[in-house]
Parts: sequence; C-alpha cells; structure tokens
Amino acid sequence: MTSLKRSLASDPSAANISSKVFVRSTRSGKVQKIVRELYLRDDIPCSSQLCTSCLAKAPRDAGGVLVPFVLSAQPAGTRAYPQGHYLVPDTNALLNALDLFEQTSAFYDVIILQTVLEELRNRSLPLYNRLVGLTKSEEKRFYVFFNDFRLETSVVRDVGESINDRNDRAVRRAVKWYSSHLARAVKAAGGRSKKIPAVVMLSDDKENLRKAKEDGIEACSLKDYVNGLENADQLLDMISVAKEGRELRDAKAAENLYREYYSVSKMMTGVRNGTLHQGIFNVSPYNYLEGSVHVPTFDKSLLILGRENINRAVQGDVVVVEVLPKDQWKEPSTKIIEDETMNKNENADAEEGEAVVTEKERRALQEEVKRVHSKSTEGRPQPTARVVGIAKRNWRQYVGHIDESSVSQSVKQSRKQQTVFLIPMDKRIPKIRVRTRQAGEIIGKRVLVTIDSWDRDSRYPVGHFVRSLGELETKGAETEALLLEYDVQYRPFPKAVLDCLPKEGHDWIVPPSKEDPGWRDRRDLRHLEICSIDPVGCQDIDDALHARPLPNGNYEVGVHIADVSHFVKPNNAMDTEASIRGTTVYLVDKRIDMLPMLLGTDLCSLKPYVERYAFSAIWEITPDADIVKSEFTKSVIKSREAFSYEQAQIRVDDPSQQDDLTKAMRTLMMLSKKFKQKRMDAGALSLSSPEVRIETESETSDPIDVKTKKHLDTMSLVEEFMLLANTSVAAKIYEAFPQTAMLRRHGAPPKTNFEELANQLKVKRGLELRVSSSKELADSLDACVDPKEPFFNTLIRILATRCMMSAEYFCSGTQAYPEFRHYGLASEIYTHFTSPIRRYADLVAHRQLAAAIDYEPLDASVRSKGKLEAVCKNINVRHRNAQQAGRASIEYYVGQALKGRVVDEHGFVMKVFSNGFVVLVPRFGIESLIRLRDLADPEPESAFDAEHYVLRTRGSRELSVELFQKVLVRISDVKEEGTGKRKVRFELVSAGEA
Amino acid sequence: MPLDTSSYSLALLRLDGRRWNELRLLRAQISTQASADGSSYLEMGNTKVICTVSGPTEPKGTGGARAGGDNAEVKVEISIAGFSGVDRKRRGKNDKRISEMATTIANAFTNSLFTHLYPHSTITLSLHVLSQDGSLLAALINASTLALADAGIPMRDYICSCTAGSTSSYSSNDESADPLLDLNSTEELELPFLTVATLGASDEVSVLVMETRVQVGRLEGMLAVAVDGCKQVRDLLDGVVRTRGKKILEGTTKL
Repeated sequence: MTSLKRSLASDPSAANISSKVFVRSTRSGKVQKIVRELYLRDDIPCSSQLCTSCLAKAPRDAGGVLVPFVLSAQPAGTRAYPQGHYLVPDTNALLNALDLFEQTSAFYDVIILQTVLEELRNRSLPLYNRLVGLTKSEEKRFYVFFNDFRLETSVVRDVGESINDRNDRAVRRAVKWYSSHLARAVKAAGGRSKKIPAVVMLSDDKENLRKAKEDGIEACSLKDYVNGLENADQLLDMISVAKEGRELRDAKAAENLYREYYSVSKMMTGVRNGTLHQGIFNVSPYNYLEGSVHVPTFDKSLLILGRENINRAVQGDVVVVEVLPKDQWKEPSTKIIEDETMNKNENADAEEGEAVVTEKERRALQEEVKRVHSKSTEGRPQPTARVVGIAKRNWRQYVGHIDESSVSQSVKQSRKQQTVFLIPMDKRIPKIRVRTRQAGEIIGKRVLVTIDSWDRDSRYPVGHFVRSLGELETKGAETEALLLEYDVQYRPFPKAVLDCLPKEGHDWIVPPSKEDPGWRDRRDLRHLEICSIDPVGCQDIDDALHARPLPNGNYEVGVHIADVSHFVKPNNAMDTEASIRGTTVYLVDKRIDMLPMLLGTDLCSLKPYVERYAFSAIWEITPDADIVKSEFTKSVIKSREAFSYEQAQIRVDDPSQQDDLTKAMRTLMMLSKKFKQKRMDAGALSLSSPEVRIETESETSDPIDVKTKKHLDTMSLVEEFMLLANTSVAAKIYEAFPQTAMLRRHGAPPKTNFEELANQLKVKRGLELRVSSSKELADSLDACVDPKEPFFNTLIRILATRCMMSAEYFCSGTQAYPEFRHYGLASEIYTHFTSPIRRYADLVAHRQLAAAIDYEPLDASVRSKGKLEAVCKNINVRHRNAQQAGRASIEYYVGQALKGRVVDEHGFVMKVFSNGFVVLVPRFGIESLIRLRDLADPEPESAFDAEHYVLRTRGSRELSVELFQKVLVRISDVKEEGTGKRKVRFELVSAGEA
Repeated sequence: MPLDTSSYSLALLRLDGRRWNELRLLRAQISTQASADGSSYLEMGNTKVICTVSGPTEPKGTGGARAGGDNAEVKVEISIAGFSGVDRKRRGKNDKRISEMATTIANAFTNSLFTHLYPHSTITLSLHVLSQDGSLLAALINASTLALADAGIPMRDYICSCTAGSTSSYSSNDESADPLLDLNSTEELELPFLTVATLGASDEVSVLVMETRVQVGRLEGMLAVAVDGCKQVRDLLDGVVRTRGKKILEGTTKL
C-alpha cells in the first residue's frame, strides 16, 4: 500500500490549493465562520466511456478496485440532439421535477454536479436522498462529477456575486468543460466529430439560460427538453407547477386567504417558553374541518376547527399551534361534515372570488354555533387552537381519483392543459389541485399525485400528477392503490437481494453430514413428534410444536421456530430489504412478502415430512402448567404433519384417534387452557375487533361471500404457546442485553381515553367501566352483558379496543423496566420471536437470542442502541400500515362481494351525531354512516339529545335512534355519480327491536 | 449544509478533494525563534502549531536532586489559543484532553531521546496551537520532533505522526469501508479515527491513540495506512531539517 503525497513544491499560491470560506449559523443562533481547504486536482474522471485519457487516471479505492465509468458511449438522442446527449440539470430542475428523472422512459446519462448536489442537499434532504439513490442505480447511468475539486472547473465566488450566481456560473463552466473535453476525447480516439454527444444543461432559470447561450453552451429549459421527448404529454405533467403557478398568481396579486406562518425563530421561542405547542396534526375521520393536535403539555388533545384555523395543515404534518382565547372554545362537533358533499361544484380553475369558507360551509357553521349557544352550561367546551406554523411537512404521494365535475367537457379530448381536482382516497386529505394535459384520459382511473406547495392565496394545495394506476375498481389498480397509500414496498426483490439466497435454490437440504458447519451447536430433534397448526392454506409456516410426557410426571414442551437468521445474515442486501419492509403484508388476494419466496415458503418454512433448521424453545412443565426449566437451542427438526386449525380440532375431539401426535396435541390443549386461565387471572384482556373472512371463487379469486371468523380451541392452543415462547425469550434477551434487547410493549391507556365510553355505558345501560388496571378493566368488560343480546359484549369490546394505545417495538435501553409492561397481555416483558418469516422484529430477536446462548457473536447492528431505535421506529410504522392495508383490503372485497346485491342485516349503533349515526354490521364487519337526509326525503327534522345519545326525528319520518341500539339496515352498493366511486350504502329499515 | 462524509462513496473523493491515501499539505520550518534552544513551526493543512524547546537545563527551584535522577525529564506544556477553533473558547491548563496529550507526547519522547546523557536535567517542550483543523496530536508530535532536532538533542530517530480513519462510522455496516489518511476536523467529527506515531521509517509504533469506536475488522487497514502515512511524514520532516542544514553549511544562514 502506497501513500501519495502532495508535492511540497506547491506554494500556498499554487493553483491547486484553494480554500472555501463560508459563514453558517448554528441552531443556537451563533454565527460561525468556517474555513476549509480545497485540493484541486486533474484526475477526476469525466466517466464517459468515450474517454480513454480519464480512464488512465481514474481513482481506485483502498482495495484497488476501479470505479467503472457510467456514462454510455452511445447515449440516446432526441430531435434536437440526434448525435446523442448527456444531461446536466441545475438545482432548480431537480427540485421541480425529480420525479421526471426517476422515469424509466427517458433521462439516462445524467451528470450531477457537486455544486448542484450540495445545493439540493441544502434545499431538501429527502430529494437529495432520492437523487443519491438514483446515482447508485446502475441502469440509470447517473454520474456525480465533483466539479469544485477539478482544477479546470472550480469557480471562486467573485466579490459582490451572489451565491446563486456563483453556482450557476460553476454549472456553466462544468458544462463547457465537458463539451470540450468530450470533443478532445473523441478526436483522440479517431472518431468523427458527428459522434460527439452534446452536453445539455437543463435549467428553468431564464437568466442562466441566456448566459449559457452567450457562452455557446447547449442549454434548454426543462419544459422545452421534455417537449422534445416521445411521451411528452405524460412527462410534462410531472414538472412541478409550483413555480409556474406562483409567477402567474403573483402577477394577479391575489389576496391571501390564509394567515401567514410565524417565522421559524418565533415558533421555536414560543414552543420553548410554552406559549406555543408542537404536535402532529390529525383530522377527524367524520369531519374534515375538525382536526386535533396532541401536545405534550396537555392530557387531552387540542381541537382545531375550521379551515382558517387549520391554516393549510395536512394530516400528519408536525404543526405549531397557539391556544385560542376561552370565548372561542368549543365542543367537538357532533355533526358529520364531508368535503365531497359540501363543496361539490367548485371550479378548480377559478382563481378569483375564492373564499376560504364557502357559503355552504358557513351555513353549517352557523347551525353549529346555534346549537352550542342553545345548550345549557353543562356542555363542556374544549380548548381550541389555531395553527401558526408548520414544523415539518409530512407530505407523501397520495392516491385518488379526478373529480370528474372539475374537468371541463370541452377540453376532455384535447391536449390543453387544465386544472382539475384530485380527491384523495384518504378522506382526511384535502382536495389537491392538479394541472394536467391528460384530464380526459385519467378520468375514472386511480392516479398517484404529490403535493408541491400550498400557498396563502390558494384554498387547496397544488400538486402534480405522477402516474396512473389503472381503472377504478379493477383489482390491480385498487390493490396497488392500497399498497401505495399504506406505503407498502411491493416491488419485486432486486437482484442484489436474490443474490443472497442459497445457491442450491429449492434443492437446498439440511446437510446429511453432521460434520457440516451448518450443524455446529445444533441439537438433533428429528426424532420428536413435531407438528404445525396454521390457518388453511398457510405456506409460510413459522412455528411447530411438540409435547411428550417425562418420566417424572412433568411434560416436555417445545416450540420450534423457523431458523430464518441462519439464511438472512445481518447487513447483507436481503437483511436491509427485510428491515425496510419490516413485515409481510397480507391482503385478501395477495401477500407481499418480507423475504423472498424461496425462503418464506420453502427453505425456512417448517413444512411437514422434510428436515428443516429451527430455533427451539424447550420447557419442562408440570401438569399444573408451572414452568420448571426452560432452554433455547438451535436445532434440526422434521415436522410430522401440518394441520389446519380445523383438522387439528377434529383430530383432538375424535376419541378414536389415539396416536402419539394426537395425544401430544391433547396435552398441549390441556396445558394451554391452564396457561390461558393464569393469564386471565393476571388481568389479560380479551379484546375484539370485527373480523371477517372473504370466501373467493377458486379460479378467478372473485369474492363470493363474507364469513365471520370462527374461533377454535386449537387457535388459542397455538396462541398460548407462542405467548409463552415470546415471554421467555424476552426475559432471556433482556438478561443478556439489558441495553439493546428488542422488546415489545403495550402502554396502559390514559384514563381519559375511556371517559366517553364509560359515560355512554353509564347513561345507556347503567354499567360501570373501571379502568384503573387491566385486571379491573377485564372484569368490568366481562360484566358488560346484555342478556337479550349476546353481541352486546363484543360490541363493547370492540369499542374498548379503539380506546387502547397501540403496542410498539422498542429497544430496552430507551425505557425504564416498569414501562416494559404489555398491558393487553398482562405480561411484564414481551417480545416477538415466533414469526421471523413475516416480521423483522422476530428476526432481530432471533439474532439476539442466538448471541445470548453463545451460538454466534452479536452483530454490531443489533448491538447499537441508535441503530435499533431506528429499526424499531420503522417496523412500528410498517406494522401499523400493514394492519391498515389488510383491513382496507378486506373492506374493498366486502364491497365487491356485495356488489349488485341488496341484503337486510342487523346492525348496532356505535356513534350518534346530530345529523346522522354510525351503524356496525357484525356479519360483514363493516360500519357506515346513515345521515338524516338518507332517512327520508325531505330531510326529517331532528332533535339531538347529546347527554343521552338519542336522536329523534319528526316530520317526514318519525323515529328515535339511540346508542347501542340494534337496528335493521338494508345494505346495498351505489356508485356515486360525481366521483364514480363505489360505496357500501346503508339504509335504515327499522329502528325498533326487529 | 455542505456535503458530509457519506458522499465519499459517490466518487472516492473526500470533503476537501483528497483521495483516501493523501496527506494534506504539510509545511514546516525550524529555528523560527532565535531565543529558544530549539523551535519549529508546522502546518498540516489548516492545523498550525509552534513548538519551542528549552533545555536540557537544570531543574528550576530547589530539590535539584529530586528531578529526573539519572535521566533527563521531558516536560510538555500545551496551550491552545482561544482563536484556534471555530468558536472562540479558552481552554485552561487543567483540561483533561490537553493534559492527556501532554502526557502522551512526554512519554513518547522520553523513550526516544537519549535522556541518559543529561542526568538531573529537564527538557521542556512548549507547544502552542494557533489553528485547529484535525489531527492535532499528530501535528504536535511532528512539531516537537522538529524543535528537538533543532535544539540538537540526540534522539534515536524522528517520531513522526499522522491520523487515519475509516469512511464508515461504527454502526453503519458498510462492507467496503476505505481507510482514510490524515483527517481534517469535519472528518474527525463524523468518522472513527486513530492517531499513530512511528519511530522514523521503521514500523515501530511509539504512540497509538484511539478514542472512537471502530469495528475490529477495519482496524488493520487503518493502522496500515497510518503507518504508511508516518513514513511520508518522516520524509517531509527530514527534508525540512536537511534544507536547514544545507543552508547552514552554505553559510546563507547563521546557526
């Protein structure tokens, strides 16, 4: 290994040393002057495969590996540049249209200049990260040229020159150098000058373009460039309208509709001294004009009412709010307000005469005020607040459909650009104004858009079209929409990941020779009578069980988990991919795997009749279900049979079956019941959510029927032993790694969460809900029964579940031991260990357990607290998204199953508003809103008794609806005229005890 | 916010335009201060230090017999100027980091100087940091070597020092982490690094200090690069001494 040295001869004034001086201000407001050296060099390659002189000087890394040249020798040409061209975008081009650069149809051979990269990083870190990702992908051929370090292209800022002008000049200088360098390279190689690719600067800055023309540099605006491409129309829509639009509106000097945000320093000072509060903005699912922000200072969330107070915050943004004076405090609305129905006929193009509050909205508000005023003083107004600034936008890409009414008929067929509204799938997101040339084509399709900006003078945010997913209501489009909406990574595994799989593929077997390194420290458990019990058709079998009596009267019970950590080594591409995916996502007709199929459904899966690697937890348990001892070991097993829950149940119940396997299952069943009883005694909750199963036709997988899930004893058998395994493993890894164990906790819900439910129960049924501990809650939930209505208890459990906190993964060093508690399971410590094929947390737990039993050293990535915290954060989000995506998928299929059918079903009233109520139909697990105006035409008059949760109507239809009431509803599906969206629609048949 | 060290992988260029195995510009002079027994000024990039040597002298004050005994004692005083860093900050004499550096330097030179030639005496190195931009300990050691040579104190060989780091931080598991030579302050803030000093051109390591966490697998590469860097530094220091010597012989400079 040799080291190079810079020549001593170089004087400070020598051309190849420069310095960069800049001033920066720190977070605390201090101003620092930074001086940095710059070593200018002449060996930074142009990275074009046409050039041989650069190749000779190309850098090598410490391993002596040469970085391959990326820019193609025959780059694609366009109409304007038939000889082929390299692109050099400036910062604005990337800021406005990074989506374009990610396209696969164009934008190859792009040179990213250091100047641009640096500036982009200053302006937007997410965009910077996306760009860096692009430069690493091989097929896109993006090259980062460090122009500021190359002698010929480095530019020193002139006196009086603005930093932007300097950067633009640097870009032009680099473009110029590139073109002359390429010309020389081609000539040196003996090529004809026709073959020299053009180097084209992309910029939206007119001044920059003008100067480029003066210097004789090929340059054009993004728009002009895209116009010259083949699929120009599609691509043009992706150029952010933000900039263009702003200029347009500036000319008009439109009035501002929203208040200006506070300056960053004002917000920070305010938050620090407690006059302002920061939190995540959440929109109520029933009323798009009502949001809430939970701030650390108060127990209860602050309400934010009305568009003006919401002040351009979008669901999920981190906002800074100011509490409003007490006379503006209000009760949360009891009314359902939907954007669709309020502002149906807005014109997306109309700029003038736009008010923040439309006439209809204003009227709705008046009624609201009247109601509050007429109420006795008992009404408890809640503190309200208004948004004064955004700490962090949480905008993502949104899926939705174009509001057909916003598209003008005349231009439907033409290519003229027009502004349309996009109605997002997520009701909590406001309409997005999108300028597009393809309005005619994308009507009736699911489309993906991003929000670019939301200025003070625009009522709705402005975004741009990204791509179309396909026709509304087609299975492909709706599934992809779901996946995008819940941010599920559904693309096929990249090659780098697949390269990590065992070379043998499906032919991989447990090595026959025990001398093989795979057998090291593995116990041979192939002689045990092991079986697995899973849902029907399960392919990724994570767990298997065995039980056998011991001579001393106790039992030996083993839980065997797929040894995924044997195949997925830390920090390879597959591990990284899995940690990003976090979990397997189950949709009704589709499974998005966390690990490649080969592992998930074959090599790791504990399939019957074949030998597989496993990680086993083995206990000695007394007949009273006390654990005598436990141990963990890597093992090799051979499952005897893979049962479905039903098959297992039948086998256990059938007295004629007396084989060892069945006996073992009976033992397990007996023990599991005792374990369950113990857990219940300790205060574990049995919660509920409406669960349904979709029956599909086997050929077309079209949904034909909806069934509620049946509960079998074998399910709780498996569940109990999985809980046992998880708890024991949690204790073990916590003991071994007190700072970095991967655990799962479920926080005790704050009492205020249950206030409303407790009050409802008290008023309606005279029942008391005690919430001081999980045991109390479990007992009082057991007492919530209606002798006439068996479902009532389940209904209350469903409601109680919604008051709970969600369980989360965490790293043990970040919490105190008492905080480890799992409230729902009433367990002191808990983790996930039993499903490593489909959850990343389990894989981490496996690695930690393997290290805890000295099987292998612990990898650095699961030893560092910071890293683990990041992993936890990601998998918590992924886990939640996966659940929601699964639920949304079921919802969609229920809708499809009901398509064209009309069914009368019983339902229960879950929530009552002053102008409608929500009904849950347990048979289908769906809930829907019935508005007063759906009851009869004309809309009946109503009186709402909020204290007793009763809604009485008079006039065109007389009835009274109260909370928890059982009602008969007619379920049908309608296609909404305006939106072309299919919706499940409930009609009230009768309110009485039908 | 300029780019950070993660951009190295994009084009194998560091934040200041160097490659992985390149030293910063190292410049030095000796006999910068006529009144001292030996003195030097040394720059490694933007890290600038001066060193003066006084001694060997009889220890001050009483108790002459107490000091040193059979060997000369090496004393090191370091003062860091308030203006040397980005923020103006005064650092007291009792700063832990400073006294640790002083001890490290004193130990290294006690072993390489022929201290037995000067019983009952003290050699005092006083080091002043004028500007800091990474590799401070290395610069101090190099400046001390030069000043001691200038003072004419016999030594086994130059002690030459430089730092080495790794392009990827401890917890990020970048398989292809490159070792880096001679870190500047931005790199020192973000990356694991160590300071190595060797005795002349040999592979004999006399100082090895590392305060950051690094994965064991990367250590060997870092050490190899650092030791190699030390050899480069040795040639540079030797050049400085020889130029000065030549001038004296030519008579263009007075001793």
